[in-house]
Amino acid sequence: MTIIEALHEEHSIAVIDTDPVRLSALAYRYDIMTLEGNGASRRALREAGIAGCDLVIACTSRDEVNIVAGILAKRLAPGARTIVRTRNVEYLEVWHERQLDVDMVVSSELETANAIARIIGLPAARQTDVFAEGLVLMVEFDVARDALRGETIGRELRDAVIPKNSKVASIIRGDRMIVPRGEESIEPGDRVIVIGSPEAAREWGRMFGGERRRTDDVVVFGGGATGVAVARVLLDQEARVRIVEADEERARVVAEELPGARVFHATGMDADFIERERLGSSEAAIFTMPSDERNLYAATLVKLHGVPFTIAVVDDPASVAVFERAGVDVAVNPRMVTAEEIVRFAHDPRIRQMAMLEGDRFEILDIVVREDSELVGKPFRDLPMTGSLIGAIVRGEQAIFPHGDDRLEPGDRAIIFTEAARVHQVEQAL
Amino acid sequence: MIAGVAPSRRSLRPGRLGVDVGAALNLVGSFVRYLSLAFLVPTGVALGYGEPVWPFLVAGGTTAAVGVGLVALTEGRQRVGLREGFLVISLTWLLVPALGGLPYVLADEPQLANLIDAYFESVSGFTATGATVLTDVETLDRSLVIWRQFTQWLGGMGIVVLAIAVLPRLRVGGRQLLQSELAGPTELERLSVTIRETARRLWFLYVGLTAAMVLVLAAIGWSGLDPAMGFFDAVAHSFSGIAIGGFSTRNDSVAAFGAATQWAIVAFIVVAGVNFLRLYRLFVQRQPRAVTGDEEFRLYLGFLLLGSGLLMLELVAGGVFAGEETVRHAVFQAVSTMTTTGFSSTDYTQWSALAGMTLLLLMFVGASAGSTGGSIKVVRHLLIAKIVHREIKQTVHRELVVPIRLSGSVVDERALRSVIAFVALYLLILALGAVGLVIDAKRAATEIVAFDAIGAAAACLGNVGPAFGFAGPLGSYEPFSNLSTGILTGLMWLGRLEIIPVVVLVTRSYWRP
Repeated sequence: MTIIEALHEEHSIAVIDTDPVRLSALAYRYDIMTLEGNGASRRALREAGIAGCDLVIACTSRDEVNIVAGILAKRLAPGARTIVRTRNVEYLEVWHERQLDVDMVVSSELETANAIARIIGLPAARQTDVFAEGLVLMVEFDVARDALRGETIGRELRDAVIPKNSKVASIIRGDRMIVPRGEESIEPGDRVIVIGSPEAAREWGRMFGGERRRTDDVVVFGGGATGVAVARVLLDQEARVRIVEADEERARVVAEELPGARVFHATGMDADFIERERLGSSEAAIFTMPSDERNLYAATLVKLHGVPFTIAVVDDPASVAVFERAGVDVAVNPRMVTAEEIVRFAHDPRIRQMAMLEGDRFEILDIVVREDSELVGKPFRDLPMTGSLIGAIVRGEQAIFPHGDDRLEPGDRAIIFTEAARVHQVEQAL
Repeated sequence: MIAGVAPSRRSLRPGRLGVDVGAALNLVGSFVRYLSLAFLVPTGVALGYGEPVWPFLVAGGTTAAVGVGLVALTEGRQRVGLREGFLVISLTWLLVPALGGLPYVLADEPQLANLIDAYFESVSGFTATGATVLTDVETLDRSLVIWRQFTQWLGGMGIVVLAIAVLPRLRVGGRQLLQSELAGPTELERLSVTIRETARRLWFLYVGLTAAMVLVLAAIGWSGLDPAMGFFDAVAHSFSGIAIGGFSTRNDSVAAFGAATQWAIVAFIVVAGVNFLRLYRLFVQRQPRAVTGDEEFRLYLGFLLLGSGLLMLELVAGGVFAGEETVRHAVFQAVSTMTTTGFSSTDYTQWSALAGMTLLLLMFVGASAGSTGGSIKVVRHLLIAKIVHREIKQTVHRELVVPIRLSGSVVDERALRSVIAFVALYLLILALGAVGLVIDAKRAATEIVAFDAIGAAAACLGNVGPAFGFAGPLGSYEPFSNLSTGILTGLMWLGRLEIIPVVVLVTRSYWRP
């Protein structure tokens, strides 16, 4: 659904699904072709006109169906790029070893785990995306409502103190996006998108997140595949991880799989247990249990016991708002996270990487500048100020955070923040 | 299997037991049949030394006849399952020493005239224990002496392991047999896809190590480093050394040899006390991590160093020896006792009570799983420590799930329970054995103190050999009454088979269909 939302304007889309109700709902909302059937069936794929398509995305809820569909598509339409979504990280590893003949594999478990780890790794950050092999970071921050006005917050941007090697890409106030011209300012309660070097991103984090150090004592509720993937990523960052799993057999499996974590066989609903194990003293709690209701209850419970930061993985995209309203600090929807990755790949092949922000309102593009681009050679101060902004240039091995005198050169990689609707324009201009 | 054969097989089963005794006997028979070939070794030696050959020929003939007879009587009963396996192992280890003890009786050796004594000596041989009822081994025929050493070598790696390597019919079910004989608590890791190939590789390594030890000892003799060491002694001590047995050709055991010999023997025993599966990976497949990365190996070395260190301190404090001798005797006795070999470089019964206590405790440590040594074995101590640690952790954190790992891989909970059961049974049987010895000593008017009774029981159950008091390294088990000798024989048998396969046989559920 999210993928269709992101792609339907520029592409003509055919959707294959086994559920006719869902298909008719889609057909009502978007101008697309729908086809009832199994995506792993050759006939269904042919009927959908696979031979002539450029891009095949296999993202049903079943890994094996997706893989079969991906492999079939690769045979039936040799010219098309194929993207396969799987839950299981193992398939991703297989693909990395080139044992799976598709163009791209996205693991929703891993993407979710990475998204959570990024949120935890940088306090106050809602989302972090890494570009140009880690040279450039894009971070979305929440400015607390009770934040004090000072040298940065509440001052006009042309005078505000902004960490070196970084740029404010956008300010979001309520539903409105503000182009960060010199006369605008960051206000408490805003959401700010920043592009900059990793050091600068950390400085921004300190600015908005106060003195909180990196979170390193985390409780994960739910030892399912997502929980294990999250725990593994956190353990890699040398965090102290505790896992709470209600099923005895599963708890044992998790404990065997993750020697570095402490695994408890208990439900997240047990206040006695939470008290006894002092789970309240953890710095963050992550909820990956299979039911949204349980996650919400458990999250509220640990908040009562003093856990300052809670993140929930929610199945239903509609629940994200419910969770965040109910007091969960961040709700992550695996499908949205994965969709972002897939849409990133579905765009222009020159775009190495792309981030989606605020659902799909804005995108960050990583694009190589053409020789005949009209913008080459002009100093930055002469470029028109639109909804798009060049946040950084990667030239050779170096990242440049451009000022008024810098010029674009052919072959540069430009990291561009733009509204989703303008992606096409930006691509043409460069 | 042909369908028509099944019903008739079933009707052959006596009393509708759950265990096919006939099939078990059939397999035992085929093992025994091949054992007759082993008598060729002492026969050759007897020819060489001009000693009587007939005791070995008769014993060999009898063994062949018993084997062939058993196989013939139980013709067609070849299906050995899990249940029969226990019976096969237990019976083999009773019958083989009985047949292997025939030469002692037939040779008319006065020290072994008593049938029970002869059986004890033979069981002590095959189980690689090293306890002896002989008071003067040096008067024995050379051929009889080498047979004694050779039984230790055969039993050290295991009669059944050898059979699996040789007999084609054990392709199925061999794994379980191998597991019971090549003792250890954790799942047997394979050296090869087939169990037969694994058994072959183990024997290949075993023969290789023995040959290396013969060469080293013989070289020490030839080079004049130790004039007491001749080729005969080199072979004899290599047989009992690599088997972690402990029989010697001398009344004074290894004390009869020089320092160089003693150090060489220590080195080989330390190697033989390591898991053979890992040794194979080290020596043949050149994977040093298989040994150095093994937690059991590290603890094994740790225990050896600790034992040697303690003895050294006690010897220095007691002022018994000086300089190199202190180190040598401390290390030799610690290594020999802990690995359950039973060679002695000196009469340690003269040492302090504290040293005696240290040696008694070392008897309970044992060598590594999958080695030729006996006793509880290092890996079980390691696992018990981990279980205890987990229990303590879980008293505070009730819900904590803690899988127990060994060198990084998770140990099955069933295996952990069986370790606890094994140690409990081991200590129970030791206690029963020691109490039995004391009661019988009272009846037979043998003089024995409680410590020596416990020592003798521990030395036999752990397949160590020499104990304390009159059963010490330079002494003999001869003063024990027939009943006590019988008890000790039983302990050696139980210890070699690691108790559980034998105890299973006395449960009712084993025999039920």
